[in-house]
Amino acid sequence: MNNKTKILIVDDDVDTVELLTKRFHAEGYHTSEAYDGEQALQQVEEYQPDVILLDIMMPKIDGYEVCKRLKGSEDTKRIPIIMLTAKGKIPDKVKGLGIGADDYIAKPFDYRELSQRVRYWTAVKIEVEERLREIKHLEHELIQSERLAAVGQTVASLAHYVKNILFGLKGGVYLVDEALKENDTDSLKDGWDLVESNMGRISGLVLDLLEYSKERKPEYEKCFPNEIADDVCKLTQESAKEYGIEIIKDFDPSMGEAVIDPKGIHRCLLNLVSNAIDACIYDSNEEKKWVVQVRTLLEDDGAVRFEVSDNGCGMDEEVKKKLFTSFFTTKEGRGTGLGLLNTQKIVQEHGGTITVNSQPGEGSTFTIRLPYRDVATQGVAEKESHQG
Amino acid sequence: MKKVLTVDDDDDIRKVVSKLVEKTGYKAIEAKNGIEGMGKIKEDKPDLIILDVLMPKESGVRMYHELKTDESLKDIPVIMLSAIPKKSFLRSQKVLDEFAGQSVPEPEAYIEKPEEPKELIELMKKILG
Repeated sequence: MNNKTKILIVDDDVDTVELLTKRFHAEGYHTSEAYDGEQALQQVEEYQPDVILLDIMMPKIDGYEVCKRLKGSEDTKRIPIIMLTAKGKIPDKVKGLGIGADDYIAKPFDYRELSQRVRYWTAVKIEVEERLREIKHLEHELIQSERLAAVGQTVASLAHYVKNILFGLKGGVYLVDEALKENDTDSLKDGWDLVESNMGRISGLVLDLLEYSKERKPEYEKCFPNEIADDVCKLTQESAKEYGIEIIKDFDPSMGEAVIDPKGIHRCLLNLVSNAIDACIYDSNEEKKWVVQVRTLLEDDGAVRFEVSDNGCGMDEEVKKKLFTSFFTTKEGRGTGLGLLNTQKIVQEHGGTITVNSQPGEGSTFTIRLPYRDVATQGVAEKESHQG
Repeated sequence: MKKVLTVDDDDDIRKVVSKLVEKTGYKAIEAKNGIEGMGKIKEDKPDLIILDVLMPKESGVRMYHELKTDESLKDIPVIMLSAIPKKSFLRSQKVLDEFAGQSVPEPEAYIEKPEEPKELIELMKKILG
């Protein structure tokens, strides 16, 4: 076994801790110790034990409270806790198990018995973790098969998106109908709001489709790329925060004015940042602290570079290949599959490039590079010449 | 008043379903994913759950199984509401059954979006009486 099982021994009695440490070491376990409840909680975080032996009567925070806190937290609730105490009476036993302790052993205890229980609970923990992994894997497969392979990815995802809108519309219409029948103005408003909101989603879809199909020349203007990036961060801050995702700005201070199409680039960045947030939302690894980073960089040749990185779910080769394909989306019911395609189109119309770097489970970075454009010759004058 | 919990990651769907729930005379509770859903179930003890399948964080696949293998919660009726076909959902539950070594029953009802809202209302009435 190259990964030794880690036992955290928590007892205010130094002798007990010493004795148990020696015995468990002799059996090939790795151990750590804590002498009160506060230390115990800290040790659980730092040491990440596989099993906890927990005394009840301790100074500061007692064993009951430690157990309650550990079992109440998503991060630590699966670590088996064996309560260890001199109190062998039934009510205490019940209390121990009632607050979520997995097992109970009364002092003075037989060391062999304790050792057996440790072995048993370690095995249980491994089993549970294994199953959780399998379930995650299974869900992933189901999503993949339904989303991508089974029906042909493009039409299926668009259909899925429309199905959700349709259900919303039907619900709204139903409420309006009922409200009219009953002369109920309150539900009339509710129903109508739903109809409007879902009509909005259809408009969004149609706009995306139009944007994609139409030839469009960039409208160049002198503007500040950092300001565009800043505005996009502001717009997305709220929804990111709601999911516990932090947006970090890293703007190049040497970036001054540049000649680009601010509206077009704003759209591109907004799309990339929203995607990055979604990548974090769809990430199944909840131990991560999700971060979306927006960088700007003035390159030596005057090119403007924008980078949007996330540490969300990332993409595998398969998804990467389909990224810039129309209607391809990995977002359940929420994506039209056109956002990235439109972003690419706008960037290319600028004579720029968009590239992606991604690792499944680790995150993605999208980079937009827009070549230098001279203010005098191709600046505002050019914008004018393109009109009409 | 009987309580109906809707678990769906789509804001609009949650809103629609909650409105239909209130309209039918029940109290509406909402959750955005499986983890939030399980929390609300323990907290609010709903009389009926309307559950989507594909959601970020914890999906309806896992949540349904967790729910139906929990002694104290397994009797709460569930209506699945999803654009994913029923067949696919049931297949996933079978596989989970094998892992867990115990089989869970099929949901009380399965609605494939976009179903008529009336259908959902009638199902709620039928299940909750």
